[in-house]
Amino acid sequence: MFCSTGKPIFSVDIHPDGTKFATGGQGEDSGKVMIWNMAPVLREDDEKNENIPKMLCQMDNHLACVNCVRWSNNGLYLASGGDDKLVMVWKRAAFIGPSTVFGSSSKLANVEQWRCVTILRNHTGDVMDVAWSPHDVWLASCSVDNTIVIWNARKFPEMVTWLRGHTGLVKGLTWDPVGKYIASQADDHSLRVWRTVDWQMEANITKPFSECGGTTHVLRLSWSPDGQYLVSAHAMNNSGPTAQIVERDGWKTNMDFVGHRKAVTVVKFNPKIFKKKQKNGSAPKPGCPYCCCAVGSKDRSLSVWLTSLKRPLVVIHDLFDKSIMDISWTLTGLGMLVCSMDGTVAYLDFSLDELGDPLNEEEKNSIHQNIYGKSLAITSTEAQLSTTIIENPEMLKYQQERQNSAQANLGPGSAGPESSAPKLNSVMNGESLEDIRKNLLKKQVETRTADGRRRITPLCIAQLDTGDFSPALFNSAPILPSGSSMSNQLTPQLSSDSSPGQASSLGLRPSHDPMLTSPPPNSTAKGLKTSLLLTSASKIEPMKALDSRFTERSKATPGVTKRGQTVSKLGFSVPSSRPKDSISALKDIKTKDDTSSDSEDKMASINKNLSFSKRKPETLMDGGEVVEKRKKGRPRKDKMAAPIAQPFTQPSRVAAPPAPPAALKLPTPSIKKAFSLQVSMEPAVFLEVENEVSLVAGSKLSQLRCSRDGRDWNTLLPSSVVTAAGSSSSLCLHRFDVVAVACQDRMLSVFSSCGRRLLPAIQLPTPVSALHCTAHFVMALTAGATLSVWDVQKQKALVKNESLLTILSGADTTVSQSLLTQQGVPVIGLSNGKSYCFSSSLETWTLIADKGDSLVQCADFRSCLPTQDALVSPGPLAVMQGRNLNAGRLASRLSSTPHHLQQSMTMAFLENQLASALTLQSAQEYRYWLLIYARFLVNEGSEYRLRELCKELLGPVHKSAATAWEPTTLGLRKRELLREVLPVIVENLRFQRLFTEYQDQLELLRNK
Amino acid sequence: MAKVQVLNVAVLDNPSPFGNPFQFEITFECMEDLPEDLEWKIIYVGSAESEEYDQVLDSVLVGPVPAGRHMFVFQADAPNTGLIPESDAVGVTVVLITCTYRGQEFIRIGYYVNNEYTEPELRENPPIKPDYTQLQRNILASNPRVTRFHINWEGSAERMEDCENVDPTSNSKVPPSCLPGKAPPLGILPDNSMDCL
Repeated sequence: MFCSTGKPIFSVDIHPDGTKFATGGQGEDSGKVMIWNMAPVLREDDEKNENIPKMLCQMDNHLACVNCVRWSNNGLYLASGGDDKLVMVWKRAAFIGPSTVFGSSSKLANVEQWRCVTILRNHTGDVMDVAWSPHDVWLASCSVDNTIVIWNARKFPEMVTWLRGHTGLVKGLTWDPVGKYIASQADDHSLRVWRTVDWQMEANITKPFSECGGTTHVLRLSWSPDGQYLVSAHAMNNSGPTAQIVERDGWKTNMDFVGHRKAVTVVKFNPKIFKKKQKNGSAPKPGCPYCCCAVGSKDRSLSVWLTSLKRPLVVIHDLFDKSIMDISWTLTGLGMLVCSMDGTVAYLDFSLDELGDPLNEEEKNSIHQNIYGKSLAITSTEAQLSTTIIENPEMLKYQQERQNSAQANLGPGSAGPESSAPKLNSVMNGESLEDIRKNLLKKQVETRTADGRRRITPLCIAQLDTGDFSPALFNSAPILPSGSSMSNQLTPQLSSDSSPGQASSLGLRPSHDPMLTSPPPNSTAKGLKTSLLLTSASKIEPMKALDSRFTERSKATPGVTKRGQTVSKLGFSVPSSRPKDSISALKDIKTKDDTSSDSEDKMASINKNLSFSKRKPETLMDGGEVVEKRKKGRPRKDKMAAPIAQPFTQPSRVAAPPAPPAALKLPTPSIKKAFSLQVSMEPAVFLEVENEVSLVAGSKLSQLRCSRDGRDWNTLLPSSVVTAAGSSSSLCLHRFDVVAVACQDRMLSVFSSCGRRLLPAIQLPTPVSALHCTAHFVMALTAGATLSVWDVQKQKALVKNESLLTILSGADTTVSQSLLTQQGVPVIGLSNGKSYCFSSSLETWTLIADKGDSLVQCADFRSCLPTQDALVSPGPLAVMQGRNLNAGRLASRLSSTPHHLQQSMTMAFLENQLASALTLQSAQEYRYWLLIYARFLVNEGSEYRLRELCKELLGPVHKSAATAWEPTTLGLRKRELLREVLPVIVENLRFQRLFTEYQDQLELLRNK
Repeated sequence: MAKVQVLNVAVLDNPSPFGNPFQFEITFECMEDLPEDLEWKIIYVGSAESEEYDQVLDSVLVGPVPAGRHMFVFQADAPNTGLIPESDAVGVTVVLITCTYRGQEFIRIGYYVNNEYTEPELRENPPIKPDYTQLQRNILASNPRVTRFHINWEGSAERMEDCENVDPTSNSKVPPSCLPGKAPPLGILPDNSMDCL
């Protein structure tokens, strides 16, 4: 047990759902992350109930001390950072039940399985703090290497950026609750605020820190929930330690929290905003909302402040033996865990009378909306919905799958239904694990290597892809060491070979109480100081001689005692450990630091059992006199002007030679004596043109040579070749590649990939300006600004001499880019940033992209991006729009834009994208944007549009001749698309009826 | 962080006559695909007095190991009785299972083994020359001693990777590879001896 070691605890964090908390710190000779059950901390009954586990999981994967643990806002992940320079991200492995750590004599099971899903390596020094951004878009980590790294939390281990600038160890991080900034505090006597728009420094605050020495291990600063104040850790004012208040408005530093005798290590704002409790009978006064902030210090005391009071609400002295290291509030705002270097964690709870009435999420959002315009309403409504009853088993399944999916994003604020109890009789290809085990030796594949050594191919019993094991594959319960068959009960299993006392005191249940409600209203400061009591049932003296062999690989085996009689006397006894009655938490087994598994040492370590005193904060209130606050401001409107959107500049990309003839609208390539062209890399296809190569009977002939994969062909043309193009599809089964050349005499010739002429020479109306071949399509853009596209395979024209004059409206607009898609859709990019394609079905030019479009710049669909294949699928739409389409990067700088306006802009933008992908016949892009669009509709709760979308995808359930519904679009089956959309819909419980409706109909159709 | 975690070792065919092969069913989990095989060994400690009498019963390569949870049975012949000091044949000794990756041992699992005569008569008056046919081997399966070592999981050419494998309390670096076998490379400190509660 971690707490029992008395090793420092550096960090504590309560899970968003309030049922558990994590601690991080020093383990035996590694860092240690532990996850604890909250219930025994909150309720004395649960504490005494031996069936309620206290510790849920421990992970000692960090090689060195863990400095910080933080839950993601959605509660799915835990991030930890340590002295081993690593950040690890943990995720609960559902469907795997309790198991012991193999070889752990404690037989203490991990009730929950948390496994490391990502290791983030970049820091070159100890990681001191980690922080999830609002909505879990980013994870920030800071280090003694003076840098801060922002990780893409949707695509670990991708890095978004480094924040460089600090010149000392960075020891604390906090995100602005509305996501516009991140602030960091470092040993370089500075607190810096960085913008999330461009990741540049917004402010560098140094004055309050100029006198500070680098004496604190951490500098955990905190941002108030209304976003108006940033409170630093260690600052100095008149040689006294303070917590500096920094106002968002102009980053002014006029106020501070004074009174601690030593440096402030940690500041943590209560997540709730409060308003004054209305006293019964008294006239309701419209009290101003205020925030609550806890300050912990090296002086071992804790103070709690309300921004509406000039003095601290409470000061608790001597709570610990050593410095306070971290503080975490429950989401209810009424409970708080505080951890200390001395290896203990204390829980404090407050009553509504003391703190006031917490504003609900709606009220909090309206405050945010008033101040910033941008609302965080999306997540909070989901949080409320998490209490909605799930009506449909399919929905439940999806919800669970979603929780289990490693890349799940934007989950509801609190955890949904607990994952079902592990299936104990799960099967593998119809075979139970037990059966497999029986025959494993016979069945396993054993071979001999070239040098005659045995090589066994292990049997894979569970895949590890997204960090989770498939529920069907793994028999979750650990296999008994004896190899005996697994029973259905966990408790017997754990007690099977240890003393009964142990089993009962550590009895486990597959899941713990679902509990979340606010703690009892009495104000008790409950120490978590407890200890695990171990006694040795017996010793095995003679084995000492052998003990070194377990751990040491060394030759040294000094001091070997003779074994012999003692052995026979003692027989073959099992050393076992039996914890005595233990209370909620534990302390102080000083085990030896050496790693020799000397049973005697281990077993004999008995410990003091620290009973904790229940202290009433009221009695501690008098400590408040030492603290004094100078002045307090009210939350103010953020007057920061929104940065002006940058004017869009488009580099003109006219590649062709300048000065086209006046009559001709578009430039034409000049005639060269010879040129070559690489059509593709794989397979390597080259075109070589040599003009006027030979004279036969007075006429000049030109030669076209093509080399493809080493096979050459050439052909002769009667006129000089102006331009050539070829298509090459490397992976097409039905390959139909073409080569096209346009000659000086305005003739266009098309050849097959083997050099056979496919079309008679086509006479173009004006000289060619650009020529493209894709698959079996040929596109010619002429100098007279007309466009033609032919389908060579069908020997048909798709686009016939279509004039570009409609789109070349501006005076100096020219064609900057032209391309032909795989589907034979011609696309023209213009120098004014607009791109058009000619839709042969609509027989008109359609706008597919406009780089100057304000919608592009303002649409914010970051939260809707798919997580795994987040790269925009490369297609003509992406090509024409450019890669700078960055999911509303610009959007965040317009955070003053009212939310509803931004919502409309985003919706309009996404619909444009869909329509463009459709007209471009770019199926992959269509699917990509369709899913983003669906997710956006789900997030924003646009039911009508969502319903219409589903309806269109589903089509008529009953066929009738009259319906014009097409079952496919761009070759994608619409109902398959709907099947992909449904899991997106399920993310918002509000739509469960809609989900059910379409799920049922799909099923119905499938069974037909 | 170790890429391979041993989740369980089940001792099969236990207790058994001394001459039976050892059978361990090993379940392990691997964080990511391993480009190289794991090498497992069973070492029988012939005498507590000296490592001289250690016998490597067998070694197997295990692979390929993709990310996931795997199991296999490692069977090895009983020790060569000729190499065991007669005075040590009866009584308590140790069997070790070790696993190395790229020549570096990262886990060592030890079990106490009790070799006893089953016949009461032999127990009372054990023959001077041990009668191995009458000995029963009992592995104390319920009490494995697991020692884990930090090793360099990446290739030896890998940059800086070994930094993280250095125990923070020592400045010594892990040699890129070390001899499989007994001589322990300096600087490798055992970590996380799981049984030190």
